[in-house]
Amino acid sequence: MQSPVEILIIEPSFLIREGIKTLLSQMEIAFRMDESDAVVHNLNRLIQKSNPGLVMINPSMMKENLLIKRSDPELSGVFFIALVQNDLPDALSSQFDALLHLCASKTELIKETEEILTKAGIISSEKESNTLSGREIDILRLVALGLTNNEISEKLFISVHTAMTHRKNITRKLGIKTVSGLTVYAILNKLIKTEELKGRL
Amino acid sequence: MLIHKDMKMAEVIHLNHHLLHLINRFGIQLGFGEKTVEDVCADYDVPLLFFLEIVNTFHDPSYFPVSNMLQFKAGMLVDYLQKTHQYYLEFKIPELENYIKRLLSDDSMEPEIKQLLSDFFQQYKAELTTHINKEEQAVYPYVRALEHFLDTNNDEAEFIQRLKEYSIHDYEEDHDDVEAKLFDLKNIIIKYIPKPKDSRILNVILHELFELEKDLNNHAHIEDLILVPIVEKMERELTTRADNSLI
Repeated sequence: MQSPVEILIIEPSFLIREGIKTLLSQMEIAFRMDESDAVVHNLNRLIQKSNPGLVMINPSMMKENLLIKRSDPELSGVFFIALVQNDLPDALSSQFDALLHLCASKTELIKETEEILTKAGIISSEKESNTLSGREIDILRLVALGLTNNEISEKLFISVHTAMTHRKNITRKLGIKTVSGLTVYAILNKLIKTEELKGRL
Repeated sequence: MLIHKDMKMAEVIHLNHHLLHLINRFGIQLGFGEKTVEDVCADYDVPLLFFLEIVNTFHDPSYFPVSNMLQFKAGMLVDYLQKTHQYYLEFKIPELENYIKRLLSDDSMEPEIKQLLSDFFQQYKAELTTHINKEEQAVYPYVRALEHFLDTNNDEAEFIQRLKEYSIHDYEEDHDDVEAKLFDLKNIIIKYIPKPKDSRILNVILHELFELEKDLNNHAHIEDLILVPIVEKMERELTTRADNSLI
């Protein structure tokens, strides 16, 4: 589980702030959010105070002529998202790393947010594979044959701790917790033969 | 939505028909007419508050029983829990076994695979039965004896000795492996049976396994949330009495 992303949201509408929280929760993004509904006079100070990784800001909340000075050290690591109804003029939109279109449909919002969070390096676009690795299959065969973690570690020259980690990953990937369940899985997938069990099952 | 005493019993069933099995455990049978929960409980001589706690705990797994639950008689709770054991052993498991038999005799899958499933189910059945017997032979008699003792004060010395050897905390052990087997059985059927020609009987078996799991979870929930606190309270009372009698 990744650590929650710190978000500062600057948006006058309570409903929009709540809506964004709901959207992120439904996407199962772990986050902590600081909220502000006031016009921004000094962005740098606000950011120093809440130290976010991500700032979501309604551009109309920026005092006229206020620019996001990306060269400032406090702002350099921060990802800026403009919360917009329509596209912004280029001069304005170029200040932000991304735009989130609030009037989009739910599906579009989720897609856009996913793209933004991927660009910000908060979520990874690669889904974790649920197929077993070659090593995990080796371990699974031995578990299915009834070997203990100790025996497996000796046989494969790995630490008991490593053997246990493999077993946890196998269980998580397959959704099978017990040794006899893993044995059934191994037979069904022809990883071991029934004869090899010698009446263990 | 909570189930309350003024609801019609028929509405309760419309709301959640899974509650029928629970209601039967109180001896209550169908044919409720327009009677409310309170009326029906009165007809069958079932303590209303206790009934409501049990059905609500099942109906909403996040419901936490509060209303005076420590006043419930432990014997009444044990009666209920024993009825659920009976339901598993005399009804639910045999029903599942019948479906497994039907599976074995049809040609939906290769014989070895069917046999593997059947063997795994038999292992599960054996573990569940062992677990239930342990509760029936050790835990429940202990709870009944404790309650009887507190009501009558007989054989104090003997009972205090017994408490030193055994308390309800020894029982808060793992339901873990039995639960894990059921979990595995479901996943094996859902995910890993190599394409059966016909999965209808497997669907029925799965459905039954889900039902059984829900019921078992509720059973464990009632033991942890209601039975254990009540017994702890009785144990404290016993210890206090013992301390006083030493003075």
